[in-house]
Amino acid sequence: MADGEGSDERQAVATRGLRKEFGDLVAVAGLDLSVPRGTLYGMIGPNGSGKTTAIKMMVGRLRPTKGGARILEEDVPLAGASLARIGYMPQELAIYADLTVSENLQLFGSLYSMGRERFAKSGEALLSMVGLAERRDSLVSHLSGGMKHRASLACAMIHDPEVLFLDEPTVGVDPELRVGFWRNFSDLKSRGKTIIITTHYMDEAGRCDVVGMMRQGKLIAEGRPQDLMERTSTSSLEEAFLEYSRRDAA
Amino acid sequence: MNRTRVFAVSRKVLRSLRHDRRTAGFLVLMPLFMITIFGYTFGGDIKDVPVVVVNLDAAYGNSSASDAVLEELTAGGVLKIERLYIVNPEGPAPGEASESAVSDAVSEVESGDAWAAIVFWGNFTENVLQSVEDIGSAPTTGPGTITIYMDASNTNIAQAITGEVRLTVQEVIVSEYHVLPPIVVTEDRVYGEGAEFIDFFAPGVMGLAAMMVTFMLSIISFVHERTTGTLERLLTTPVTEGEIVAGYALALGLVALVQSVVILVTAVALFQVQIEGSPLLVLLLIFVLGVGTQGLGFLLSSNAKTEFQAVQFLPIILFPSILLAGVFWPLEAVPELLRPVSYFIPLTYAVEGCRSVMIRGWGVEDVWVELLVLACFALAMLLLSTYSLKKRR
Repeated sequence: MADGEGSDERQAVATRGLRKEFGDLVAVAGLDLSVPRGTLYGMIGPNGSGKTTAIKMMVGRLRPTKGGARILEEDVPLAGASLARIGYMPQELAIYADLTVSENLQLFGSLYSMGRERFAKSGEALLSMVGLAERRDSLVSHLSGGMKHRASLACAMIHDPEVLFLDEPTVGVDPELRVGFWRNFSDLKSRGKTIIITTHYMDEAGRCDVVGMMRQGKLIAEGRPQDLMERTSTSSLEEAFLEYSRRDAA
Repeated sequence: MNRTRVFAVSRKVLRSLRHDRRTAGFLVLMPLFMITIFGYTFGGDIKDVPVVVVNLDAAYGNSSASDAVLEELTAGGVLKIERLYIVNPEGPAPGEASESAVSDAVSEVESGDAWAAIVFWGNFTENVLQSVEDIGSAPTTGPGTITIYMDASNTNIAQAITGEVRLTVQEVIVSEYHVLPPIVVTEDRVYGEGAEFIDFFAPGVMGLAAMMVTFMLSIISFVHERTTGTLERLLTTPVTEGEIVAGYALALGLVALVQSVVILVTAVALFQVQIEGSPLLVLLLIFVLGVGTQGLGFLLSSNAKTEFQAVQFLPIILFPSILLAGVFWPLEAVPELLRPVSYFIPLTYAVEGCRSVMIRGWGVEDVWVELLVLACFALAMLLLSTYSLKKRR
């Protein structure tokens, strides 16, 4: 967390002065994050607040203009086998629409060098979790929007990573299934996994251990959802966010 | 039909073009490019075909019909006489000299250094003159004889050589003697015995098909990978840039192979196309071409933001290859101005290599240059593609 909790070895994700500029636009303005292992960390903020850019820098797909990040005590960009310790689900679909759900999972399983047995076990469990067991042989292009997102999530989790970066994983997913998703995220957390998740749904953010609020590339507030509401004397995260935004603008 | 709505749709299409300046430029420059390249290439006559000549004709008095014909052949421009073997009266006996000269000349054809060895046999002038005198009466001598030992693996060139020799002989003799006595021009095919246009054409089509498909598939696939975010996502897994490039190369190389097998089998079954050499060597050439071309598509895809922009590269790459790589007509028919461009087109080497294997029956030891050029092209494309991916980070 921003003020640093625990020793460095306990940090799953740590960023120092992480900054990204696109020409004159400052997308992320010096982000300092410290996320202990086993944390469900939610990043919330409006469109263009820098959540996705920050995540892309953390997973090594964007080179920061300044600053840097460490994941599981290793400098980003990670290389080789270390990449298998993280999972990433981008905001866009980013799976192959001309392959079936199973074929996509097989592809990602192979890229992580998963053995056949391990893949079969993990694949089955994941398909059930995302509710696509019966659509495993359907082409992704034939699935509904929500199903495509579920397939994408499964691909990010196929190799059972230690740290999972999920960029708006529940967009287009129906409320019933969203509840199921969050139950699974909690299960993963209880198994010691770390999850960094961005979301627009404030009720979802309330399920996180720690929430970071972003506005115009900056982290304007961070803490447990309950604490954030108490500090702003508000009754919802949405109101708390608006209050922190007002203070930041002032 | 509502006019306002029709105009609204038209306006939308034109406005989209206005926002994409590259496409707008393409729409103007592409026809310019096409008319220029087609204009220069089509209608090109075959020129400067390298041949060797063996003149065993002993001059008859002060007159030499063979020299007159040779002078005219040289001036004609279709043939380029690279070497002239003559019988040296001071040297070995004429019989030995002629035997060794003809065999040396033919070996130049066999090695691919010359398309033909044109042999004027001994007593050519004497026989021509005697035939001229004999006109109107019973012949007292045989006709003047020329033999063309020819590499007929390229039917266009074979026809051009034979036609040029026959025509020139007729013109020169008629102009010198004002009559046309019987003269025999015989063909002896070193390569391409029984070869027809389809034999010449099939290797070209095979190379062209492999190139078109691998280029199209790779450029569209990679633009798709980039625009849908799958490439970004792949690169967050342990897969390396080099592994992605190699994976694509292998897959699209195999696609090119399958295509070539279909074309080969069809050409043999339906058109009895010759395959004198090893079909495996032909497939190897096509595979390496496919690997290189898909690499080129990969590389160019980084300069296209949409599939539509990617498609614009197709004519820019394919038209010069179709017209200048010797697919439909030999390189000797490509205008001199553009001929150096032909040697920068990888398809040129694939087509030449496949033709040499299929019609001439050559092996690796003969087509290693083509194979090496294609391998260098493929390697360069793979390395540059990998570099372009690494640079993206």
